[in-house]
Amino acid sequence: MIRLYDWELSVNCYKQRLLMALLEVPYEIVPVDFFPGWEHKSPEFGRINPLGHIPVLDDDGFIVRDANAILVYLATRYDPTRTWYPVADPELLALTAQWLMFSEGTTNTASAARLHDGLGYDFDVEACRAGAHRLFRVLDEHLWFGEREGRHWVCPSPHPTIADLAIFPDVALSEEGGISRVDYPAVRRWMDRVRHLPGFVGMPGISPPLATSPPSVG
Amino acid sequence: MASSRPEGQGWFPVAASDDAVAHHVVEAVLAERELAVWRDDDGWVNVWENRCLHRGVRLSIGHNEGMELVCQYHGWRYASRTAGCTYIPAHPADAPARTMCNRTYPAIERYGLIWTTLADATGSDGPPSSAPLESGSTLPLRAMAVNVPAGRALDSLAGLDLPDPNSPDGTTGGPHRRIDGFTLVAGSGEGVVVFFAQPVAAERCVVRGVVGPAPDEGATLALLRRFNRFLTEWRDEVEAQAEFRPGKRATPPPPTPAIAACSDGTRTRVRVSRRWLTARDVVAVELEAVDGVLPTVQPGAHIDVHLPGGLVRQYSLVNEPGRQDVYLIGVKLEPESRGGSRWIHQSLSVGDVLTIGGPHNNFALRRDAQLTLLIAGGIGITPLLSMARSLHRSGIDFRLHHFARSPEHLAFTDLLAGLGEHHRPHLGLDPAATTVELESILAEPGAGHQVYICGPGPMADAARRVAAEKGWPEESVHFEYFANTRPRDDRHPFTVELARSALTLEVPAGRSILEVVRENGVQLESSCEQGACGTCTVGVIEGVVDHQDVHLSERERAEGRRVVTCVSRAAGDRLVLDL
Repeated sequence: MIRLYDWELSVNCYKQRLLMALLEVPYEIVPVDFFPGWEHKSPEFGRINPLGHIPVLDDDGFIVRDANAILVYLATRYDPTRTWYPVADPELLALTAQWLMFSEGTTNTASAARLHDGLGYDFDVEACRAGAHRLFRVLDEHLWFGEREGRHWVCPSPHPTIADLAIFPDVALSEEGGISRVDYPAVRRWMDRVRHLPGFVGMPGISPPLATSPPSVG
Repeated sequence: MASSRPEGQGWFPVAASDDAVAHHVVEAVLAERELAVWRDDDGWVNVWENRCLHRGVRLSIGHNEGMELVCQYHGWRYASRTAGCTYIPAHPADAPARTMCNRTYPAIERYGLIWTTLADATGSDGPPSSAPLESGSTLPLRAMAVNVPAGRALDSLAGLDLPDPNSPDGTTGGPHRRIDGFTLVAGSGEGVVVFFAQPVAAERCVVRGVVGPAPDEGATLALLRRFNRFLTEWRDEVEAQAEFRPGKRATPPPPTPAIAACSDGTRTRVRVSRRWLTARDVVAVELEAVDGVLPTVQPGAHIDVHLPGGLVRQYSLVNEPGRQDVYLIGVKLEPESRGGSRWIHQSLSVGDVLTIGGPHNNFALRRDAQLTLLIAGGIGITPLLSMARSLHRSGIDFRLHHFARSPEHLAFTDLLAGLGEHHRPHLGLDPAATTVELESILAEPGAGHQVYICGPGPMADAARRVAAEKGWPEESVHFEYFANTRPRDDRHPFTVELARSALTLEVPAGRSILEVVRENGVQLESSCEQGACGTCTVGVIEGVVDHQDVHLSERERAEGRRVVTCVSRAAGDRLVLDL
């Protein structure tokens, strides 16, 4: 059984819950009292992850940490279609890795601003916000032209990849860090597409679409 | 700076037409006013204040269900076109008040952009016409949001070498023509590019370029990329310069627009736009607004139609919420017509202007049921068809059981066909067979199931009786009668005290509470005035009611907390009303 060391309000934990829901992979949650308990910084948790952060995945004794590494593991092991992490196509795989790296940027800017505003982290929030806007501008341009080229996801595949899931929560919760998305109409449409994926689950601040509402067209 | 349009007045683009894709809500800002922009399934573009009336949450994070916008937070629903509230999940059995209406702004699509104005649009001529774009096809460029004032953005562009839409590598030298403070035209001859500035805030704007005529399809993407690259580099440069500009301008307060005229439903003038025979003895009538938009439709609602000779008749709307460019009613010719249905069948023509009241909704649809059973008899299909269409769009499970004499008696078959197998006709049954069928339909009261009944008196009575026998809880069985055919007795005189108005009035034999109250200057809305629709119902504080209506349920009668004032009376000497 997969066990996910998890905190409900963590974007990086949510990325794992979302992928496992989309892949219909059963798992158990091991709640970590991230806030206010700082349990991830406790000596006990240090034995699971010496870096002292979540998420951590334990799949029958195989332990892997870091959001993107866990996404790579889950998609490679549990997606028989090989579309979420397209290992068979070198170019597509490279672009997936490229956009996974991009998500490190959105996490370190947009989600950092959220931690500042929500949990009082001591970050230079204006720098975080400016950095997020720089990335969102690039993402919106990429997705806007994608719509005109018939590409609906960040990578040129008819199927979304784990890169979409790695970026999505940072963007979808950006307003909790004071980062408006009003200038990014193509990003907002892409978010609608992610939310309409069959099996999609939300988290506090990210709602699934109405059970019956049809997906966006265009 | 040549500015003929102060910020916030006049028409400005707020989105590209392409941005408002189906089932999506665009977030936009114009002069610091936040807007939710969404296209309904009929293609109508709504531009609304971006706040739910309830808790002020942005509607742009809500759901565009097709004809209604649903707030993300507590699920309040708003109808396309009017922004009238159609449903409040916390009060699932109640019809929202007609006055609950979000603020709307006018919307016009031109040059591939969606335009609106925050000022009063009455008499306005719409977006600025841009002669170079009028003659042919247009291609909107990718919009560029810039953190500089609108005027400064165009000042900057005006002097630059811009990409020439006519040649893949050429540029078109400045200065370019400034039409006004918010419009710039570049290029000459065959192809031009026009930049419209959308003021967002004092130090922010969106520059929306439009190329005309549109290039060949094969050249489109290259042109879009070329302009996007140019504008991106320009944005980075103009923003870098702006950071060192001293003395930032204060934001002019946006003008406060007139609050959207949300009809109170007292009187609307409509014109007959279509009429046709939709079934044997049933005429369908489409009514369009003479001016403005028609008031919000809720499923189950009816209107009062004022006919010549002072006749007022009630007809249920077949419309689903949001789909209300025209009202649609079905009128059955009643053999014993008192003049209403006969006049509509024989004399009403396309182009005739009528006055209507309402819509009133005393037959509100719950939208939280696991399963909704709609039971229609004859022309009782009309309110239930409205409900069925609404449930169908929302994907809420329902069955529309439709009793009629023959296939020729089925009205609105085109709309019924759209419901697929949810529509279950039961044809040619006599009263006994109808009851047997009803017993099967209502056999098992399910948890979270709701029943709505509309039909002629005996059929509706039978359905309610069967539902009670099968153990359906009364609050799950909703009904509406066409008419009150029960015997009435208005011989008993009594006193009414109006607690809030501090009036004590005598209601003599032969007069109704409604009539006496109105004569004494107290306003009370009414519709059918025969105890069927329930519009004139008021609360009872003290006294026992002699119920003579067909609107209240058995439980409501027993509780005695409400009285239908057009027909019901005091059982004793006195009633104290919450009025």
